[in-house]
Amino acid sequence: MEIVQAVFNGILIGGFYASMAMGFSIVWGVMNIINLAHGSLIIIGAYITYELVSRFGLDPFVTIPFAALALFAIGYALQRYLINRVLQASLFATLVLTFGLDRVLVNANLQIFSADVRGVTPPYAGAALVLGDLRLPWIRIAVFAVAILSTLLLWLLLEKTRLGTAIKALSFDRDAAQLVGIDPKHLYALTFGLGSALAGIAGALVATISSFSPVIGDGLAMRSFVVVVLGGLGSVPGAIAGGTILGVVENLMSIIAPAYRDAAAFGLLVLVLAIRPQGLFGRRFYAEI
Amino acid sequence: MRRFLAPLLTLFLVVSLGPSGKAADSDNVIKFGASLALTGGLASEGRLVKDGYDWMVRTINDRGGLTVGGKKYRVEIVYYDDASDAATAVRLTTKLLDEDHVNFLLGPYGSGATFATSSVAEKYQIPMVDAHGASNTIYTRGYKYIFAVLNSVDQYPTPMLKLAVEQKPKPQTVAFIREDTLFANLGIEAGAKQAADLGLKVVYNEKYPSGTKDFSTIIAAIRAQKPDVLIAGGYQGDMIVITRQIRENNLDLKELGFLLGPTVRGYVETLGGLAEGTLEPTQWDANMNWHDQLFKMSSEQFAADFQKKYGYAPDYHGPQSAAALEVFYNAIRVAKTLDPAKVRDAIASSTFESFYGPIKFNELGVNVGKGMACIQIQHGKPVVVYPPKYAEAKAVYPLPH
Repeated sequence: MEIVQAVFNGILIGGFYASMAMGFSIVWGVMNIINLAHGSLIIIGAYITYELVSRFGLDPFVTIPFAALALFAIGYALQRYLINRVLQASLFATLVLTFGLDRVLVNANLQIFSADVRGVTPPYAGAALVLGDLRLPWIRIAVFAVAILSTLLLWLLLEKTRLGTAIKALSFDRDAAQLVGIDPKHLYALTFGLGSALAGIAGALVATISSFSPVIGDGLAMRSFVVVVLGGLGSVPGAIAGGTILGVVENLMSIIAPAYRDAAAFGLLVLVLAIRPQGLFGRRFYAEI
Repeated sequence: MRRFLAPLLTLFLVVSLGPSGKAADSDNVIKFGASLALTGGLASEGRLVKDGYDWMVRTINDRGGLTVGGKKYRVEIVYYDDASDAATAVRLTTKLLDEDHVNFLLGPYGSGATFATSSVAEKYQIPMVDAHGASNTIYTRGYKYIFAVLNSVDQYPTPMLKLAVEQKPKPQTVAFIREDTLFANLGIEAGAKQAADLGLKVVYNEKYPSGTKDFSTIIAAIRAQKPDVLIAGGYQGDMIVITRQIRENNLDLKELGFLLGPTVRGYVETLGGLAEGTLEPTQWDANMNWHDQLFKMSSEQFAADFQKKYGYAPDYHGPQSAAALEVFYNAIRVAKTLDPAKVRDAIASSTFESFYGPIKFNELGVNVGKGMACIQIQHGKPVVVYPPKYAEAKAVYPLPH
């Protein structure tokens, strides 16, 4: 019975991992930027939710659009005025830039919000769907639904709209895309904004189900990285599969030997890299890892 | 112009970044050095520690400083920010001794940094009195120059377990969960042993890796063992998540305790009603009403004065830090010299009561003068519930729903 509970817990948290990783994945896939500041963007989203809940008494789920919009704007500006400048340089330059950006954001958050640990607890935190011995907290189910829904919306945007087609065209061939009238600077900024908006949503969800402070972003970025490598770059089904696998493995390990749950998760990563380096759903024409 | 500007700017930077408050006449200052977590993950606690140290500096100087060999000295602390990193703390402590030539060392925040920097103190044979290194391994290496005013972490679970076994009906089983870190490992391992001695059956005892953000399945596994009592140890953020997920996953407990958590800023604010009834051991509380022999003030008077100067009621961090500096104050007066070895001997034979509690070091350098109490969150506020001698309220047992 514990195993069934662990698998369900894993699937529920896996949805959250997927939404967190999808923002990271699209930025990496389209622009070949490994955004080391992704974790800090998530944390900013978490603070937006925290402030709205504690100041105005909003329900945390109502704050999600605000977090997403704010982060979209921040992400757009960051890419347009900062990261675009080094996009043509080596991967190393973008790594250094996003690392530096991350340090700035972490310390700005520490200055503004202090290092105190935060979180929001809505009044219905303890309520759960009970199926026999199985217990699924409603809040987890809601987080799972929001995460999957936002990830799917992004997928629809990429697959079914002109904007999505343009973004994909740009990631395949920048010169050809420019020839047909695509403005790369604007479109790159839009892409980064979309990735950041997903980070904002993930942040709102972190505040609701977990706790956070300015310094835990690194751990979130690390998990995003694992999910993307597991599932494959730039792939929405990949992010969902990668997130679910990570969640289920972590939770199964929590029954067997909780001390080794990270060892198992990262062991899995090494295994996938050895057997299928492009990830489970990776497509080769996205940027190479 | 540019050629001159760069060195000039560098000089300006070095001067402005250097330790603040340099005395005009450095001969008449006793300099203490402390590397503290003023930024990074432990910055909240680091700042509480700094306020405690600063309060004591102000108090000593306001009362005329220290007289050694007929000469009056002011007291001053040189601070560096180790950004919550133990390796940086070691580098900065070395710098305090090599470049700033401080007379004595005050401890950093946390067991990791204290463990690491105490080796520097020992190597230079400069006494270090620390206020926030609770791991007993810091003191069992045969070092002669490290002293701790606080109770070590193996004593943290004691009041929570004793409180449990005094309840009726007496709980039978206990579960432990901890982050895989030095502090939590030592505390919980000691707790498991003490629980067995007190006649409780340990039904679950596991660790989880740092950075774990979801405890649902761990809590489901604990629930399957049906413990009466759960004691958890680790990073304060984890404790918030564990408390919330205990409710989400319907783990029915009679008592819930943490090595630390409920009194840390953010816990009650985040959890609201879910924080009710949780326990945490405490080194100090204003209600304990010790009487300071050197500064002639009670714990309550200390708390009132501290609040006046820093704008918040101190938890144990402030007085505990202040007491570390008070140990030096007492020892220098007794030794009548600033010689590190003689001051060290005077520290080792300290016996006095401070507003923080009695101070008396054992041969390892750990304060054995005082014991630990335990608080419970009641109506959103921490109140002392154990031992009965200091209790402000009766413990709520079993845990409310």
